Amino acid sequence: MLLAVVAALRPPPPLVVVGPPQTVQTSNPLIGVHTRLTDEVEEWKVQRTLQMVREMGAPWIVEFFPWAYIEPRPGQYDWSHADMVIEHARAQGLTVIARMGWVPDWARSPETTPTMLEADAYDDFAAFVAAFVGRYRGRVNHVVIWNEPNLSFEWGYRPVDPAAYVEMLCAVYPAAHAANPDVVVLGGALAPTLEPPGSAAGLNDLLYLEAMYEAGVASCFDALAVHAYGLGFPPQADPAPDAINFRRTELLREIMVAWGDVAKPVYVTEAGWNDHPRWARAVRPAQRVAYTVDAYEWARQEWPWCRCVAMWAFRYPAPLHNYQDYYTFVSDDFRPKAVYLAVQEYAR
Amino acid sequence: MQVGRLGVGVVVVAALLLAGCGGRGDALERVLEAGVLRVGMDASFPPFEYVDGEGSLTGFDVELARELASRLAEDRPVEVQFVANLPYDGLYDALTAGEVDVVISALYVDPARMADFAYSAPYFDAGQVLVARDETLAEDLAGRTLAVEFGSEGDVVARGWQRRLSGLQVLPCQTAAEALERLVAGEADAALVDHLSALAAIGAGKELTVVRAVTAEPYAVAMRRHDRGLLRAVDAALAAMAADGTLAALQQRWFGAPAGGD
Repeated sequence: MLLAVVAALRPPPPLVVVGPPQTVQTSNPLIGVHTRLTDEVEEWKVQRTLQMVREMGAPWIVEFFPWAYIEPRPGQYDWSHADMVIEHARAQGLTVIARMGWVPDWARSPETTPTMLEADAYDDFAAFVAAFVGRYRGRVNHVVIWNEPNLSFEWGYRPVDPAAYVEMLCAVYPAAHAANPDVVVLGGALAPTLEPPGSAAGLNDLLYLEAMYEAGVASCFDALAVHAYGLGFPPQADPAPDAINFRRTELLREIMVAWGDVAKPVYVTEAGWNDHPRWARAVRPAQRVAYTVDAYEWARQEWPWCRCVAMWAFRYPAPLHNYQDYYTFVSDDFRPKAVYLAVQEYAR
Repeated sequence: MQVGRLGVGVVVVAALLLAGCGGRGDALERVLEAGVLRVGMDASFPPFEYVDGEGSLTGFDVELARELASRLAEDRPVEVQFVANLPYDGLYDALTAGEVDVVISALYVDPARMADFAYSAPYFDAGQVLVARDETLAEDLAGRTLAVEFGSEGDVVARGWQRRLSGLQVLPCQTAAEALERLVAGEADAALVDHLSALAAIGAGKELTVVRAVTAEPYAVAMRRHDRGLLRAVDAALAAMAADGTLAALQQRWFGAPAGGD
């Protein structure tokens, strides 16, 4: 009885109206951000986040749609959250790049992490990607297949295996295109790292991409997803095989060209600088502001093969209480940081 | 110290018995059998864990891990094997995958993770603290000037206080260190900064005192939730380290001053 009274007295949730379609106004059509709406429960916060992305002048978002969340049991899909995010993104005039991954319990061995995808589950994953791509055909036309497979922890804590990743990508690619012939399948999304062959932690992204081509990846992806973190260096810093900086992207591009993949574009799906006061790879806040704006401009002027630069990360649903909070553009309670205001000014 | 170590020994035996009764493998059994505690960390966060100029892994958490391991068993040595090149995103997965036994990496106690992971008692609180030259200056902040690091959590808290404390002036600074400098210089009556910055200033000889903690950001050791025996052993070791002054000595060495003694 008491519970019924309490339930009756509880205020209704905020009414969220998607609203009329908006258009992003921007001086640089490459500007993007990686949003983190996967664990955002409240619809008004999803809407507010995407409004602020538009108001900053970013036409692109990268968002994660975990397989485990959408297909918790084989063949049983829960699209409700994905529908909501995509509906609001489209209403704000944003183009969504959907990141695919995160293996449900039923598709992997016990005591493994959601980054473990064994070969006998490739077809299940391909079926999920096809279901996603088919459902959102015309609304989401870009998908990134997996995240940073050149790091052991992103590959189920196994030794990384470029050939296995290519095998998986080649299982997904035809299924995705059968569901939506217009879909752009992005491969790679490699972590920038200098880990040498044999390292338990991962493999140098340049070596990994070479190995992907040697394994025959060329016919199994439409564009390369790149992670282009700047660490302590400005975006103009020269690329070098033994340096991790924003223009390392150009070295990955050189590998594509060397393998004849000149026509395929690049999408930077993660990038950025961190301004935590103590993290070893951070820069000062004023540097972060300048580097971020300069990076967008560099890509616009120097990289004709680049379609978007999505910085990590626009906003987290809740603070993480560690240095990762210092990557964001907006606080969890929607206060814009200096970098947000600077990009907004640049994009006008 | 002897008393503390005896206490740990008793707890370890009890924990092993309980783990055995439960019928489920506890990481403590494996650790004691192998004589190795595998510790995961993201070694990019000084002064907690980082690689120094000579390429050596060092920091508060590194020494804490070694001290903890040395106290896990009275009758046998336990060494630490660091898995220090984990990215922050991979720390919890390393526990799930059994790559490490514990994570000691300035790790915030996250309630959302507690279904799968257990945390020790906190060994440090990195939250915001109110600092003053003289405690009485910070008893009532109405009409006073409060220095903060612009954009920090302290800044947010201070702006909230400003709405209900008559005449409180908030002085935004570029860094926490600058906020403390301006406090020392008399340009502010108090500062609201993170605990580590406050300890560093006090350790550097600034005549300041921590009046009280304002927000909590507890750091703790994390492990898999079912490793109850290991959790008890780690908690007992931490309690013993607090009791015999080891924890305070580590804080003095790495933070500039011990928490609680500030």
